[in-house]
Amino acid sequence: MIFREVEDRDLIAKARKGDVEAYNLLVSRWEKRVFNYLLRLVSNREDALDVSQEVFLKAYQSLKKLDDPGRFGAWLFRIAHNEAFSLLRRRKPEGEMPFETGTPVRGSELLPIELSLAVERALGRLSEEQREAVLLKVYQGFKFEEMAEILSCPVSTVKSRLYTALDLLKATLAPAIFRGGHI
Amino acid sequence: MNCESYDWKAYALGELAATQRREAEKHAATCEGCRDELAHMRLTVNTLSALREEEVPRRIAFVSDKVFEPRWWETFLRPTFAAACVIAAAIVMHGYMMRPAPVDAAAIQAQVNQAVKQSVTQAVADVERRNADLDNKVTTLYVKSTGIKYQ
Repeated sequence: MIFREVEDRDLIAKARKGDVEAYNLLVSRWEKRVFNYLLRLVSNREDALDVSQEVFLKAYQSLKKLDDPGRFGAWLFRIAHNEAFSLLRRRKPEGEMPFETGTPVRGSELLPIELSLAVERALGRLSEEQREAVLLKVYQGFKFEEMAEILSCPVSTVKSRLYTALDLLKATLAPAIFRGGHI
Repeated sequence: MNCESYDWKAYALGELAATQRREAEKHAATCEGCRDELAHMRLTVNTLSALREEEVPRRIAFVSDKVFEPRWWETFLRPTFAAACVIAAAIVMHGYMMRPAPVDAAAIQAQVNQAVKQSVTQAVADVERRNADLDNKVTTLYVKSTGIKYQ
């Protein structure tokens, strides 16, 4: 992680001087993480891909505004957050739910793919803000302070959203956990 | 410390400092309720990791790709383009301000005609005067030389 950060810093410095290949390498490194975060947030592959493209374009255009290259990840996800919620706000009037709100997980011997779907459904039952907190913490590994920076809110708000989400997920996933051979 | 002072979610999410972790572990070793809560939270977080990570369906465009080129309207926002626009506007304004006054051809023609007429009149008057002078001189000489008065 430390090596990666150092290398990112180096790539950013080169990209700022106009080294196109350095930025292309940054895109290659971060595209999967950004895409998966957006996919779980906007729950549509095409939208997630379009927004990912927009995120990297905006990041490239404003790379010189990045104060601390060591915090590139949080900065990039801040852009991704803004773009995703801009899309979600545009969608709102249609009353579209980002995830299908399926029935709670039934207890059974779940295969990995079934467990993955169960998790996807459980995430879909959360509010967008709760889901985003889980995505940033559990799947992207950001610290509370970094999440607060990405979401532009106090750490206390981050924790509140995340903890509520975890309580809901615990309740929703309990049958899958306890009868699916995980305990 | 009582059970409520331990943040098991933060523990499961790896947010506690080393000393806090050790204290929490020490407590969990002696408290069945907290041990259960921690186990449930760890299981929940572990189960969440079962979510499959998706591959990017097609690669994100690179900087050298067309998609990274500025849009047509963004060209207008470039400092060099804006500076060129300002210079061009200054040149146009300068040209407008320094343009010659509008020409009234008829008035000029009338002025020219008037000047020509005055010059011609003056020239005719001068010639006539000189002719009259010459006539006088010739008459005077004739009278002097012949003694005959010219009629």
